[in-house]
Amino acid sequence: MSSINSPTAKAESSKQYATFLIDDRLYGIDVMEVQEVTQALMPTTIRLAPDYVKGLINLRGQIVTAVGLRELFGLPKSVDAQSHASVVCRIDGNLFSLLVDRIGDVVEVSPRDFEATPSTIDNGLGKFMSGVYKTAGSILSVLNIASISTELNAK
Amino acid sequence: MESGFSEEELNEFKIEALELLDLGEQGLLALDNQGSYRENFDAIFRAFHSIKGAAGMMELLDLQAHMHQLESILIRVKDAPTLPRHLADLFLRGIDGARLILEGQKIQFDFNTDPGHVAPMQTAPIADQAPVAASPVAAIVAEVAVAPTPETVAQANAKNEETMQDLRESSAVEFFAECDEINTRLAADFEILIKSGSSPEIIASIYRDIHSLKGGAFLMGFGDIGDFAHNLETCLDYLRETNVTPSGPLIDVLFKSNDLIERMLKAVQNQTHEDFKKEVHALVPLLSSLLIETPILSKITQGEPMSTSPADTEISDAPQQPVATNAAPPAAPAADVHSDGDKADAGNSTIRVPVGLLDKLMTLVGEMVLVRNQVIQYSNQSDDLDFLNLSQRLNVVTGEIQGEMMKTRMQPIGNILGKFQRVVRDLSRELKKKIDLQIEGSETELDKTLLEAVKDPLTHIIRNSCDHGVETPEVRRAAGKPEGGTIRVRAFHEGGQVIVEIADDGKGLHRDKLVAKALERNLISKEKAASMSDRDAMNLIFAAGFSTAAQITNVSGRGVGMDVVRSNIDRIGGTVELDSVQGKGTTIRLKIPLTLAIVPAMIIRSGEDRYAIPQIKLAELVRVEKGATDGQIEYLQGQPVFRLRGNLLPLLDLKKVLQFKDHDTKKFVENADAVNIIVLYSERQSFGLIVDEIQDTADIVVKPLTRFLKSLAVYSGATVLGDGSVALILDIAGIAAQNLSTSQSEDAAANHSARSNDGASAMEESQEFLLFRLNSPTKHAVFLGYVHRLEEFKRSAIEVSGAQRVVRYRDAILPIYSLNDVLKYESDSKNLNDIVPVIVTQKGSQYFGIEVNEILDVFETSADIDASISDREGLIGNIVSDNEVVVVVDPHHCVPQKRNVSVVPAVRQFEASAMGAPVAMHAQAQHQQAPQEGYGFSHSKRLLFAEDTAFFRKHVSGVLSRSGYEVTLARNGEEALAILENRGGNYFEAVLSDIEMPKMNGYELAASIRKDARFKHMKVIALTTKASPKDREKGLESGFSAYLEKLNAEELLNTLEALTPTSNKSAAIAEKAAV
Repeated sequence: MSSINSPTAKAESSKQYATFLIDDRLYGIDVMEVQEVTQALMPTTIRLAPDYVKGLINLRGQIVTAVGLRELFGLPKSVDAQSHASVVCRIDGNLFSLLVDRIGDVVEVSPRDFEATPSTIDNGLGKFMSGVYKTAGSILSVLNIASISTELNAK
Repeated sequence: MESGFSEEELNEFKIEALELLDLGEQGLLALDNQGSYRENFDAIFRAFHSIKGAAGMMELLDLQAHMHQLESILIRVKDAPTLPRHLADLFLRGIDGARLILEGQKIQFDFNTDPGHVAPMQTAPIADQAPVAASPVAAIVAEVAVAPTPETVAQANAKNEETMQDLRESSAVEFFAECDEINTRLAADFEILIKSGSSPEIIASIYRDIHSLKGGAFLMGFGDIGDFAHNLETCLDYLRETNVTPSGPLIDVLFKSNDLIERMLKAVQNQTHEDFKKEVHALVPLLSSLLIETPILSKITQGEPMSTSPADTEISDAPQQPVATNAAPPAAPAADVHSDGDKADAGNSTIRVPVGLLDKLMTLVGEMVLVRNQVIQYSNQSDDLDFLNLSQRLNVVTGEIQGEMMKTRMQPIGNILGKFQRVVRDLSRELKKKIDLQIEGSETELDKTLLEAVKDPLTHIIRNSCDHGVETPEVRRAAGKPEGGTIRVRAFHEGGQVIVEIADDGKGLHRDKLVAKALERNLISKEKAASMSDRDAMNLIFAAGFSTAAQITNVSGRGVGMDVVRSNIDRIGGTVELDSVQGKGTTIRLKIPLTLAIVPAMIIRSGEDRYAIPQIKLAELVRVEKGATDGQIEYLQGQPVFRLRGNLLPLLDLKKVLQFKDHDTKKFVENADAVNIIVLYSERQSFGLIVDEIQDTADIVVKPLTRFLKSLAVYSGATVLGDGSVALILDIAGIAAQNLSTSQSEDAAANHSARSNDGASAMEESQEFLLFRLNSPTKHAVFLGYVHRLEEFKRSAIEVSGAQRVVRYRDAILPIYSLNDVLKYESDSKNLNDIVPVIVTQKGSQYFGIEVNEILDVFETSADIDASISDREGLIGNIVSDNEVVVVVDPHHCVPQKRNVSVVPAVRQFEASAMGAPVAMHAQAQHQQAPQEGYGFSHSKRLLFAEDTAFFRKHVSGVLSRSGYEVTLARNGEEALAILENRGGNYFEAVLSDIEMPKMNGYELAASIRKDARFKHMKVIALTTKASPKDREKGLESGFSAYLEKLNAEELLNTLEALTPTSNKSAAIAEKAAV
């Protein structure tokens, strides 16, 4: 993560994404929007809440709402895949812990590799994406924190 | 003459000056460290300049001169590349010198700017703290190298116009904020002045504020405001010193002047460049002439530089003007600050702190409380005595910090309420109405942010009350009300909330008009309009785009308003409730939470989760042990209930509320060794919550849930517990609303906020009924007050005595009557359940049971009973509730009425009953109902009946009027007393009164009647459900002649007959005398 703060020559044009995996698919959130990455903590469940709300965790005295991205995206539940890691973001002044399978690297991408979300992507997921980056070896789906927030509040 | 500054003001100035000196010093030091010259130069210059200006204002001439010198030297090097070393030294010394002057020392300062000149600075400490006044101010000025002249000042000023601009911008915000505060205080003071006349304190207070305003205005360079304020100040100063009571016209002029200043400030702030000269010129001569008129004094025009001449007011941008002129008054400014050794320190008694910092501190204190909780929890497992001691101390200290921290943010609500006097005064003039604003509880404290948040909604409500609520004097007179309307604003703490109640005695809301308007604006559908309850209709006023004013005035009625009020209050987690009685007025209650608070809570466990319940909602804890004889959880229609001291307490199972899978309350209760019930207050009623375990109490820091989780009504927030885990905080009101209310309409939320549970008017008008089913498609109901208990009997347990069905019940025989039979509904024999639900009710001292098919619910309604259709004996009438008609049954009609009663209207007997002894009559009356004939009543007997419950008012007055009495009704003691006084001592034969009533209860009423010689012979009879011997005793002490149970009609009639004997038994006979 040290690369976040070390400005590179390309900093002006390229962007950095904190990446993570759900079902071995690569997702990324702009590093500037990520507060930290932690192990998934045991949350306090909130009964009566929607299924994607996994509960509340105490992150050094701050109460963080844990949201299961798998459930939010409507991805099928898989038996072996467990949410092991959490990406903590601040959305609208509230802290959210987005639960994911695994944490990836911080990836630096150039705008040249950007493309809009292909229209074949199901809207259940597509509405959270702001586009994709073609990287070596895989394609990075960029998640839009603002639209996650909008969706959560709309539900 | 004493200097015109209070100690407080001088202290404030001192603090500010010291801060500025520090800034200057920092700037100088930064320059030494190769800081940006331009930036630091400006900072130093601003500091010097501000102090100079303020010192002039405070009439601290020596300081002013000192700073002026420094400033003039500084300005010379404005365009220099760097600050010469020797000058930096000089300025640093100068700053030290200024500090000494501020501390009340006289110094001799050498302003020699030659490089290499080492300047001496001699201080001349004032040995005996004698006022500096001893030495003439002029002399001090002379000691300074060059006395400033107005010209030099003006020059310097002109040169630095640019710098001044910066200065203004940076401090303007602060200045205007302060002006706001001052204006608020002024408005309140003026109001007192008008209402309760002049007092030295008030004048002094106004004077002080005007004075600070003047100072601020000059400092900011708003010369015309300053000049005008100065005029006003002079006038006030005279009043203050002579103790002359200002005349009416003078007060008016003062008021106008204050208003003008406010507007001038507004104009400056908004940069509207309005021209106020005309108004200023109109008012200034008035100010002085009125003073002279009062009695003497030419003082205002003498030797006062900024008086009435227009020329003066035009030199508006010369804030330093006082330098030239202030030498004239022989004031001894420094004296005040230093006349006392202690006071020098007092300068440090207040500091300004950004609110953001307090917020941060508050959060940190919250964290600290959590850590404290964890430490305590840890220490409880430890045997280390030292550690225990330490953690104990940590506990105490943290508690104190927390308490003090909370206080830093609290402000009395009077800060905003005070402004409303002015609002109402202006509006009532504009609208040509007479409105009196009464404010209670202005000392109630509220968090500053919340205070800010309720200011606008409150203003809106009050403007609304003025405009729409209170009628014009003509209308009021026609309606038989006093010409002047009253708006009462009451603020108080209740149940951890601050409640602000705004009540007017105006025309109230007109249901039909509201509905019509809403239809017109397409806010509701026709169907909805037809079915709307009164309460829902009242709620329309909160709908967006709704305005009730027939004419749009510029006061209110633009269609934004109450909806904004509601959303603003919602935003801070409060609620708005509205209650209105047409013709009587409207009451709006704002409930504002103390959300920032750290609250004491009870931690409980349900399943594996722990939850916190705010203790404020908690009434008691009940542990029901398995097999205990003193009470078990019972089931009514499958719903758990518990008899708590004889009253049925409905129970909710938290696991059911939270929808635990496969949870069965009955099984759980049967298997548990003990069941824990938490008895809670909710808005409407108490209820018990079944939880798995009651763990602990703790102070919790309430953290809000994220926005999208707020729709979960059962939680109000979350907190971190002592062990670091997170627990949800249960929202008791939310749980109650979700699980207790009878008919959950779609807009329950809307209802919720408009409900009023404890408002006096609600108490008067809404009644509760028990809803049940009979062999009829329509639901039936009895007034809940009639219901003693609800029971279920096995059909096999019902025996027959003669032709009467009875059941053994609590060591006695309970006669059972089937309501289906009584009401002659066709019996439906195939539907006979094994379990017979029975409503146990009481008539006289006798209990009897009424069999119904199924008990449904309790509901509350404010709707009137329509008695026009009651085709059967035993029916009282119909109520329309939630789109259906409910038939109201008179349960006492079930008991068959017989005619073989011997009349026993003996006073002696009655007295026995009043003393609490059992009354023989009751026993006899069991089946011997009051005869249809036998009592005779004269037509002319007049009774006054005070009762707050509409149902009883109707019912009892019905009984009485059918028996030939003429009944006058009152809704509470106060009203009864008013009627009584109106009608005189001989009009009524007797007064009947309920005990529990709003405003004035029965005891108070009886006592008041007894006190009055005119009513010496008046019989006062208590009619109540509070019938314990103790209550009776209290009643008799208060002066009641008799103490009767409410539901016992024949006893009432007997007693009345006995107490007010008539010679001739009239033919006026009760048709249904015994009820």
